[in-house]
Amino acid sequence: MRMGRRLGLLLLAFGAGWGSPALAYDRAQIATQACSGAAGLSEAAATLTAGASSATPEDAAWAARLTGALLDKTIRCGAGASTIESPSGSVDAATLAKAAPAEGPAPVLSLKNRPLVETARAAATLFAGATAGDRATALRALERRAASLPPELFETAAAREPDAGLKEQILGVGQSALLNSPDVAKRIAAIERIAAQPSRRAETQIAALKSDPAYAKQPAFAAAVDAGLASIDRWLRVSSVANTLYNGLSFASILFMAAVGLAIIFGLMGVINLAQGEFIMLGAYVTYAVQETLRAVAPGLLDWYLILAIPVVFLVVAAVGVALEATLVRRLYTRPLMTLLATWAVSLLIVNLVRVGVGTQNLQFVTPSWLAGGKLLVGDFIVTWNRLFAIVFAGVTLVATWAVLKRTPLGLNIRAVTQNRAMAGCIGVPTRRVDMMAFGLGSGLAGLAGLALCPIYNVNPQMGSNFVIDSFMVVVLGGVGTLAGTVVAALGVGQINVLIEPLYGAVAAKVIVLLMIVGFLQWRPEGLYAVKGRRK
Amino acid sequence: MIALKRSLLARAADDRMVVAVALALAATAAVVVVGGLSGYRVNTIGQLACFALLALALDLIWGYAGILSLGHGLFFAIGGYVVGMHLLERSVAETGITPDIVQFMGWKALPGWWGPLESFPVALVAAMGVSFAVAFVFGWASFRSRVSGVYFAIITQALVYVAMLLMFRNDTGFGGNNGMTGFQVAFGVPIQDPAVTKGLALASVLVLLAALVGCRLLMIGRFGRLLVATRDDEVRLRSLGYETLRLKLKVWCLSAVLAALAGLLYVPQVGIINPRVLSPELSIEIAVWCAIGGRGRLAGAIIGAVLVNAVKFALSASLPELWPFVLAALVIVVALIFPNGLLDLGKWKPTLLSRARALEPRDATP
Repeated sequence: MRMGRRLGLLLLAFGAGWGSPALAYDRAQIATQACSGAAGLSEAAATLTAGASSATPEDAAWAARLTGALLDKTIRCGAGASTIESPSGSVDAATLAKAAPAEGPAPVLSLKNRPLVETARAAATLFAGATAGDRATALRALERRAASLPPELFETAAAREPDAGLKEQILGVGQSALLNSPDVAKRIAAIERIAAQPSRRAETQIAALKSDPAYAKQPAFAAAVDAGLASIDRWLRVSSVANTLYNGLSFASILFMAAVGLAIIFGLMGVINLAQGEFIMLGAYVTYAVQETLRAVAPGLLDWYLILAIPVVFLVVAAVGVALEATLVRRLYTRPLMTLLATWAVSLLIVNLVRVGVGTQNLQFVTPSWLAGGKLLVGDFIVTWNRLFAIVFAGVTLVATWAVLKRTPLGLNIRAVTQNRAMAGCIGVPTRRVDMMAFGLGSGLAGLAGLALCPIYNVNPQMGSNFVIDSFMVVVLGGVGTLAGTVVAALGVGQINVLIEPLYGAVAAKVIVLLMIVGFLQWRPEGLYAVKGRRK
Repeated sequence: MIALKRSLLARAADDRMVVAVALALAATAAVVVVGGLSGYRVNTIGQLACFALLALALDLIWGYAGILSLGHGLFFAIGGYVVGMHLLERSVAETGITPDIVQFMGWKALPGWWGPLESFPVALVAAMGVSFAVAFVFGWASFRSRVSGVYFAIITQALVYVAMLLMFRNDTGFGGNNGMTGFQVAFGVPIQDPAVTKGLALASVLVLLAALVGCRLLMIGRFGRLLVATRDDEVRLRSLGYETLRLKLKVWCLSAVLAALAGLLYVPQVGIINPRVLSPELSIEIAVWCAIGGRGRLAGAIIGAVLVNAVKFALSASLPELWPFVLAALVIVVALIFPNGLLDLGKWKPTLLSRARALEPRDATP
């Protein structure tokens, strides 16, 4: 197998060699052309680029040196010979032998000539570059103009490339060049290979071929172009759906974390905490405090601040929640509507305290190295790590909340009081204590939502209000009976929002979601998953 | 028998309060007419009267029917936007000056369908009609599915929030972020004329007075008693054969129309209407005025609105950053110590810490 592949590569190299007769650069003429005005310079650059694949290594190194000098303006065009200035003395532009510096200026690079010279330098560097890094840089420069370059350039460069990874990349870029190959079979093969990796760029590249003369003349070519476009289009549609779903899922994750605490509290006590949005904001600010503390105390751990902040955020925000319950909410149990106003006053207080204490500007978060970037899955669908973090985090929170509610004594008590407060009290459940703990739990979960938001959204004192109404809608829609209601409602509201947004805009999305919820309540006034029982 | 007597006594005390507030309003109107107040003061009185009318509207449904709306800014804004369109039409018709809204919306002239609003009676009917229609549809959908209590409050809040987002868009066609401003004339007189300020303030105070007396009469009658009964035990009332849906819908629509009237009177006095009126914060603040003044007594709502806004005006001139703290503290103190609002002060019965059986339906908590 390996032998076969080597043989193939060898043949490829030979084929390239035959395709364009080996021409050594006429160094003296090119150097003179480069100094003879704009037209000559264009011609010199074109010759260098065209000959790059068949040049000897020495010639390639010389071409790289010459074009580099042209770009750096270290070349001097003398009356006779031109020279290149360098720290170690000047050399002749054609022979690179030591020479006395010529008298004269460097040629001016016009807007049209600069890219030509840059391409020539990149082409030469692709062969003569000393390190893989140099060659990779050159490849990136060539990538943009690949379609206008001779295909042999990449084939030969790939054959000579010692670095396996870079070789793959060169071949990949070479496909674009092959699109312009005179050989139709090669063009068709290139179209197929480009279509195999669908992206917007691939689409425009192949779509451009529709205006190619061959498209009208050669049915096989036209069929390949059409098939390629259809395939890319299909994959792009798949990837755009995937992108939408993915964004919706990450939005739903945040909504879920913000709403689950609300739903637990509402189910238990019949009160809505209007300060929930501010608890989200507090969670983000505590995360920031953890980040800054780590920066000062243990910079080595800074990369992991999001993980280390989890227990801190939960405990701090839960403590704030418990304090709020004990001082205010508890006293208003018979008056849930007054609780709305009182918790709103608390939210006003928190926002303004943070505004006065910390300031109104957005907080600057470090993006941990493990959250930067993402993975390109298909088409232009990229799974970005920061959103994936929010999704996974919400999943873990869901499991943990479920475990607390179903597997711990506290959860048992919460469920008992939710179902029948009086009866639970009669059999000895300390209902007030359960309320307090549940309020703490719900607040802590909101704080965690703030933590998950840090890598995705702007963190400022106002951020809570952006989520709070959406998460109320989730609670209203999901009902208060089960976690499942909150999950389904969060997914629904999140996905509907992102599905409608590209069609009609963000505002229309909110309007439609609200109308759907009001309509839905006609059918199920207690939400998706209401606890069965006497209807009030 | 004793219980009955006591409730009559309580009603008498309440009546005294309403009478006192009504007299105070009449006196204010007289002072505005007689003059001697600076234009700024007259304008402040007019604005306070509009806020009081808004609070009165909310008190009808919250205090008497036990329905808390956190979206009453919506109806206020409907009144405001309709009168804004009316004033723009009048200004163009009488002065010929092209208003700013035409420029920043990229129009050539005001939209043709605004034309009929040039006449004030049409604008008045339109404002009341639109707010009535919106309230009717939304209220019918909500009350029919027996959405109530906290659910209803949350959904109305979402409603006003969505309306705000809609109006912030330029494409919605009402001036977007900038709203409507640059009114030149009101009722045929240049708007800077002190007579306009005076007239608007007087109209606001008189409308408020009429609304107070009218609502008071309505509420001590059969309708009001049925409402209170609905608030306290809706299931029982339904079992007795009353159609509570219709009762709630009636008072809800009445409240919406009053709120629209408040907006209609307010906008000419401040000279601008923009989507910030629709922010959920403002709508919650209306409820706060009622809560601070005391719910279910009409007079309380007026006192609360006037007091809170007077403090707000005073503070926003000198210490604007202090205002949110004062407001938050006020709400918390009232919630904890004076469950029935500052009117408790009169009886000095601070029912400390949750013992008070307040005005909520008894089955609000399971």
